[in-house]
Amino acid sequence: MAEMLEVSGLTKRFGGLVAVNHVSFSVREKEILSVIGPNGAGKSTLFKLISSFLKPTTGEVRLKGERISGLAPHIAARKGVVRTFQETTIFKNMSVRDNVIIAHHLRSKASLFGFFLGTGAANADEAAFGQSADEILALLGLSSLAHETARNLPHGHLRALGIAIGLATNPSILLLDEPFAGMNHEETMRAVTMVRAVRDRGVTVLLVEHDMPAVMAISDRIVVLNFGQKIAEGTPAEIRDNPAVIAAYLGVDDEDAS
Amino acid sequence: MTLNRNARIAAVVAFLAIVFVVVPAAISSSGRFDLYYTLTSVALLSIASAGVWLTFYIGRINIGQGAYALMGGYVSAILVMNHGWSFWLTLPVAGLFCAAASVLIALPILRLRGVYFAMVTLVLTEVARLLALALPITNGAKGIVSIPLPGALSIFGITLIPDFATLQNSRLAFYLLAVTLMVVCFAVMYRLVNSRIGKLCQSLQQNEELASSIGVNIAYLRVIAYAVSSFFGGVSGAIFAAISQSIYPSSFTVTDSVNFMLNCFLGGLGYVFGPMLGTLVLYFGWDLLFQTGQFQLLIYSGLMIVLMLVLPNGILSLAEMTRKKG
Amino acid sequence: MEQVIANGLYLGAQYALIALGLTLIFALMNVLNFAHGQMYVLGGFITYTVYGQLGLPFVVALLASGVTLAVIGALMEKFLFRTVIRRSHREESTMLLAAATAFFFDAVILLLFGEKQRGVPKIVKGVFNDAGIIMPYDRLVVGALAIVFIAAFVLYMQYSRVGRAMRALAQDRVAAQLMGVRVDRYSMIGFAMGAMLAGVVGGLLVTITGVNSGIGGPISIKAFLMVMIGGAGVVGGAIAGGFILGMMESVGLTVLREYGDVTYLVIFAALMVFLSVRPNGLMGKPWG
Repeated sequence: MAEMLEVSGLTKRFGGLVAVNHVSFSVREKEILSVIGPNGAGKSTLFKLISSFLKPTTGEVRLKGERISGLAPHIAARKGVVRTFQETTIFKNMSVRDNVIIAHHLRSKASLFGFFLGTGAANADEAAFGQSADEILALLGLSSLAHETARNLPHGHLRALGIAIGLATNPSILLLDEPFAGMNHEETMRAVTMVRAVRDRGVTVLLVEHDMPAVMAISDRIVVLNFGQKIAEGTPAEIRDNPAVIAAYLGVDDEDAS
Repeated sequence: MTLNRNARIAAVVAFLAIVFVVVPAAISSSGRFDLYYTLTSVALLSIASAGVWLTFYIGRINIGQGAYALMGGYVSAILVMNHGWSFWLTLPVAGLFCAAASVLIALPILRLRGVYFAMVTLVLTEVARLLALALPITNGAKGIVSIPLPGALSIFGITLIPDFATLQNSRLAFYLLAVTLMVVCFAVMYRLVNSRIGKLCQSLQQNEELASSIGVNIAYLRVIAYAVSSFFGGVSGAIFAAISQSIYPSSFTVTDSVNFMLNCFLGGLGYVFGPMLGTLVLYFGWDLLFQTGQFQLLIYSGLMIVLMLVLPNGILSLAEMTRKKG
Repeated sequence: MEQVIANGLYLGAQYALIALGLTLIFALMNVLNFAHGQMYVLGGFITYTVYGQLGLPFVVALLASGVTLAVIGALMEKFLFRTVIRRSHREESTMLLAAATAFFFDAVILLLFGEKQRGVPKIVKGVFNDAGIIMPYDRLVVGALAIVFIAAFVLYMQYSRVGRAMRALAQDRVAAQLMGVRVDRYSMIGFAMGAMLAGVVGGLLVTITGVNSGIGGPISIKAFLMVMIGGAGVVGGAIAGGFILGMMESVGLTVLREYGDVTYLVIFAALMVFLSVRPNGLMGKPWG
């Protein structure tokens, strides 16, 4: 399988603090890779580096061989690296359907001016976006809520909407930031199915998570961080038995450790 | 307001009829020709305020529109006086000049947010005034005076607009000009807000990071909005210069910039027609209070405060409140 | 040269006091007090009335200015700003209110005190003339008083219970509430203190430069400039901003005197460049 994303020697320093320290790994096409680690391990910093919301101090990130680290976030998105966020990952005052439609921005063929004038290309775009949005909403079980204001959605559906927004951009790789946080078992299992559906559409998934059962259930491979460094990489089975990983998680309550 | 399509068309037609037919007729019959100037001012000020509203729409507080009004006025005046241009040509040029200047200014300042941006724009108006005083081309404190009235506008030998100097009632002509441009301006704004661009701006307002992550080029969108806003300001200023046939460094001050902003707030930041209503209310309010003499400012600001307490989201927010109750 | 520095320090101390009041209000409530310059003017007029007209001691006059403005500030917060902040959809709505209050102040001041420039007798006569510096004694006294007030303010904010509560509030409103800080009460105190500072500076400076009803607006703008330079919402920023502006004015007025109003143009241009490099001023707290 080809490499979708390659992270090499990625380091981020904030003053004297090294948040991410020479991390290297790659994500294969159409796999689901999870990044885990105790609190403060540097997962979210890593996330922001990969999605270009932060510039690395050293090291680089390549997407299908092309360097994307250091690009502006919206350009990284254009290249195909799209992230979702932890909370309030949605446009609060728009309807659910509008949220997804607006996220199609990257796919628009007409220019801004074209949209203003209402040219043929613009209208074609809008029609296409509408259809695509409906399809994505159906995939994620949000069709019945299409016209609800996003801010009113219950928790689990907010997450689904966040993923829908990510999908709408037609990404090569989707970065999911703690997609299962705060969910009960049932919600988590539903979310796991959603993420699988995303991958089955041909999107590579990189996710950051704390919820061990979910991570074990869904990942093809796992990367473990601690204190900003990669301490392990492998399949769920390999990670579960890895002594370094177990040591890193010692002191965390049983619910989190696998 | 979500009226159905027919109701909306009816409202637009009614509005146009009032503005273009009823008002002139009423003024002619009552002989109160001074009202033309008042209404023309309201129209022009609402265009400038619309620009400020647009800046709010992309999430920035713009207290610097006065600078562009001044700039536009001077550009038009200088082109007409020193280079013999036709006023009609200077109008779009003034607007474009301001748009271009605003792009240059925007590059360093648009990343500032909230109060910082607001304060910088406040300073901008002062800078414009100081520049007008200092630069030789703007004739310093004496300003530019005796600007001729707009000449005729003819294309291919057909006179579209007669020379204002030949008109018996140039005030009516200016009124029509101002109101036409106001209608065009707000039509543009309405279309902008209801098109995809509007949704993009809303996404900017609601969640900048998310907008960025779905590929919206935030900086670009902001600069474009700011340029359009400044264009409106420049055009407004240019017409003012033509009406008063003069322009001075003090023609547009910080107070004017603040007023443009206030017009937007009063009408309601969430509504496209907010600036129009806000300008109307504030301008007429001020004018009507003239009779109170020395208490004018006191009552005016007092009423403003009361209005803020009762309707902190602007006058047009009444529409939402009645909808909720009904 | 020493003269320029001395003037700069003197101006800087005054400006810093003004900026402190503005930045305090901003830090606590995210409100830009448009009326700050007018509060200064009102303070000046009160001192003019108490000291200049009624002949009471200067200290009493200063006290009167401070207390009156403090009360006004408290009332403004409680009855005006609190309501609007609670009910408006957008954060910026307080700007309309702030601008309206500025106009209101202007109107009241004009009605009560008229348009004429007013001054008061010097509080200390004589001129200091030594080491290349010529400085009237009253400026020295006023400058010293300003520095004393700044120090007192900083110490108060740092060590008193009220000061600490206000700092907690400025840092994180929600967290402060959870810790039991009575947010409403301290917002009011903060606004009152900010207003008081403006009033006190007005009272101080009326003895040197006099006061008239028209300078409110320009003073507000200068205060904004200082806060922009130093950074909004941070005490150190206000002080830095005040002294920097004082210095720049002093230098500019001496060096660029031939060119007239160019001083402020230069300051503005420098500010734009500076802000594009440091969007939050020297030490400011980011908006929102």
